[in-house]
Amino acid sequence: MWQEYAIILIRGIGLGSVYALIAMSFNIVKVSSGILNFAQGNMFVLGGMLAYAAVALFGQPSFIVWLLLIPVAAIIIAVVLLIQGYLTLLPLSYSDDQQSWLITTMAVSIIIGAVLLLVQGPNALMVRSIFPNVPLFGMRVPAPFLLAIGLAVFWYVVLQWFLSKTLTGLAISALWQDPVAGRAAGLKVRRLQLLAFGLSGLIIGSTGFVAAPIITIASDSAVAYVLNGFVALVIGGVASNTGALIAGPLVGVAAMLATFKIGGEFQGLVSMLILVGILLIRPEGIFGSTAARRV
Amino acid sequence: MTSKISTGEHMIAARPSTARTGPSILDRSAKIQVVIGIAILVVATVVPSALGLSYWIGVINLATIYIVASVFMGLLLVDAGQVSFGHGAVFGAAAYAVGVACGMHGFSFPVGILFGVAAALVIGILFALPALRVQWFYLGFVTLSAAMVFPQMLFAFDSLTNGLNGISIPFTALNTPTAIGLSILSILSLVLGSLAILTSAIFPKTKLGRRMRVAAASPEAAQSLGISPGRMRFTAFMIASFGTGLAGVLYPPTVGFVSPNAFHLDISILFFFAVIVGGKGQPLGTIAGITLLYMLPNVFLAQLVEYRPLVYGLVAFLVMLLMPSGIIGGIVRWLTLRQKPQAMPALQFSQIVDATQSAKHPVGDIAIEIEGLRKVFGNVVAINNVSMNVRRGEIHGLVGANGSGKTSLLNVLNGFTNSDAGSVKVNGKEITSLKARDVAHLGVGRTFQTPRILEQLGAWDNVQIGLDAKLSPNPTRVSPAFVDSLRDTLGRLRTESIPHGQRRLLEVIRVILTDADILLLDEPAAGLSPEERVAFAGLLRDLRDKLGLTIVFVEHDLDLVARVADRVTVLESGAVIASGDVASVWENPRVKPLFVTVRHA
Repeated sequence: MWQEYAIILIRGIGLGSVYALIAMSFNIVKVSSGILNFAQGNMFVLGGMLAYAAVALFGQPSFIVWLLLIPVAAIIIAVVLLIQGYLTLLPLSYSDDQQSWLITTMAVSIIIGAVLLLVQGPNALMVRSIFPNVPLFGMRVPAPFLLAIGLAVFWYVVLQWFLSKTLTGLAISALWQDPVAGRAAGLKVRRLQLLAFGLSGLIIGSTGFVAAPIITIASDSAVAYVLNGFVALVIGGVASNTGALIAGPLVGVAAMLATFKIGGEFQGLVSMLILVGILLIRPEGIFGSTAARRV
Repeated sequence: MTSKISTGEHMIAARPSTARTGPSILDRSAKIQVVIGIAILVVATVVPSALGLSYWIGVINLATIYIVASVFMGLLLVDAGQVSFGHGAVFGAAAYAVGVACGMHGFSFPVGILFGVAAALVIGILFALPALRVQWFYLGFVTLSAAMVFPQMLFAFDSLTNGLNGISIPFTALNTPTAIGLSILSILSLVLGSLAILTSAIFPKTKLGRRMRVAAASPEAAQSLGISPGRMRFTAFMIASFGTGLAGVLYPPTVGFVSPNAFHLDISILFFFAVIVGGKGQPLGTIAGITLLYMLPNVFLAQLVEYRPLVYGLVAFLVMLLMPSGIIGGIVRWLTLRQKPQAMPALQFSQIVDATQSAKHPVGDIAIEIEGLRKVFGNVVAINNVSMNVRRGEIHGLVGANGSGKTSLLNVLNGFTNSDAGSVKVNGKEITSLKARDVAHLGVGRTFQTPRILEQLGAWDNVQIGLDAKLSPNPTRVSPAFVDSLRDTLGRLRTESIPHGQRRLLEVIRVILTDADILLLDEPAAGLSPEERVAFAGLLRDLRDKLGLTIVFVEHDLDLVARVADRVTVLESGAVIASGDVASVWENPRVKPLFVTVRHA
């Protein structure tokens, strides 16, 4: 009995680490430009497809090759995100209407989903992990669950270091505080925002690649990942990577519990109820800060 | 309060000249768009029926229904500022309620309509509840997740909904052509579509529409005008759900069946995209949006089935890239850019107050009585044991360095912030536990340091919201001739082109129009030229002498304060260091050093 819960816990934390990584990749773009990239879920699925493509091209890779392929996948997705970022930021520089990103990022999400549907049809792709299952508590846990946890910690450390110790990272953080002052201080705002898009691509590309064996790689699976990533983002507090790292696993465990206990069709409902509950009780999230009155 | 009671004899008096309402106030662009829009709907409905093209009849009916749903989604987004990515769930609930009632339980269609609209309103209430607490894209995600969950629930409760198989309902009678050649269903869709287009044009020009826009654009300004932003949001969700529900109930007879797959997230996104891609706030916008996003991929490119979502995504993406204000918005912009922008003529202060009218006022010598007031923000004591009073009919200046607590004090006086200790009585009534909008109803009006002239409203609408908030049916105290000329002037202007200094004055005029007895003005003269300041001082005196208003104003220009204020209170670090008539305060040894540098700056 307790083993069942232990498995739910480990798988939940593993899947939740994926949500935490999605939330972190949301954060970096949100901090630099205020944009919440709806297409992030599709980028994640694309990362998973790269893992499938790697197997299709080279056969089941050895550990060393697999390790080398992670940065390759990350960079490919980063390039895709750079292009998307460039196009998304384009209308913001000549229009008064600063909300076009709502539509353009959703549209990109639809376009990628449509292309995936055209290329590989409605079925999900399966990727086999190169690692054997790990024995834990007398059960066998697929290794990618554990790898995802490691990856979340890795990117968390890198992001914290980058945003608080490097000049570029500090400049990006400054944009979140006050973009106008940042521009006045001579920051190359557009370039920093593009960099953030690229960085979010590195995060999400590597996540998709590493987690490929445990996720649904299909043309229509992206929205669910975006939604769960967003729930993690809200619970953790927008712009807080620490919050994301903690909230992601919470969401993952809750989703696993819902799937095991009341059935998969209610998983979406559970995510929604968590989201609504958090927003009603503490809209700024656990690690977020409240905004002052604007009078 | 008292002014509300003493108004009986004024009821028959001349109607305020500003009561002009109705569709005649639509601007030219909106009028043209409504005419074109309804003409398009009529032609598109009549031609296929006349030629007997049954496929096209169905397509046009469905497109019209989608247009109606998008119009009401747009009302929610543009007029009430509420982001809903889940409007398809409202639509789907209405359609499914009709399907279940008529298809599974044999009720007649009119009964089904009642069920459908009720179901839409229930979902609307579910959406409105989180909207009272969260806004913007948070609300977007809540509604988005609701839209994702909706079809899952249709599956999960398949004993009620028939699950994956859906419900098939022929509704033959509704689809049979009547004597005039159109089926009842076509007539219903056409009428509903035309009404929706008309609504989208007229609603922003109604009192409710303006108040909704104020609440969306600036909740502070709304509260200071006595509007509850929460109530506005709730009302918006109810109106939008009602309209969308009416569209939803026509879905089953149009398509012939309902199934969970028809109400995926896609349909919510379609409604949202249609509003933005067509052009926010443009009556023709949703027609253009649905034509491009629904008709183009699904009807005109019907042979290329597998490319539909791609075309759909690409159209939305390209339009936003090339025309960020949408198709119709872009066209209107292009047409208006060619017109010469109008400059705003300076306002003549001396004409604002009409000396021939007198107003009744609350009696009592003290308008505001503050006793031991204290407010702490974290470690900062913003208001430190302040006791002072403002006499009725005086102009009271609040001065002090930046950060001395002047605006914090105003915020307590109009109910924005709750004090930590002490008491504030306005017209003899304790207000420390009241909300800002209740204080506004007591006759306290205020302006802001950053003027709340809202670009979401037309130039004249920005003033008219003051009239909308009028506390009594008395004729306005502002000279009707001035109001008329102001309406004519502002009616031709775009809000963006109002210069900054004039914005403050418009805000002052807006507050006077609300019938407030007590005006709290936060740096009203900032940005005025020296000549305008002299005229503005005259206006303040007129407001006091001719209308008997009580005015508290925060001001850094000490010459202006000296010129008009009856009494002055000086604040430093949240505490009163001097209070009294101007001459004695100016000579106060504690005050002098504070202003020496300022006066020569």
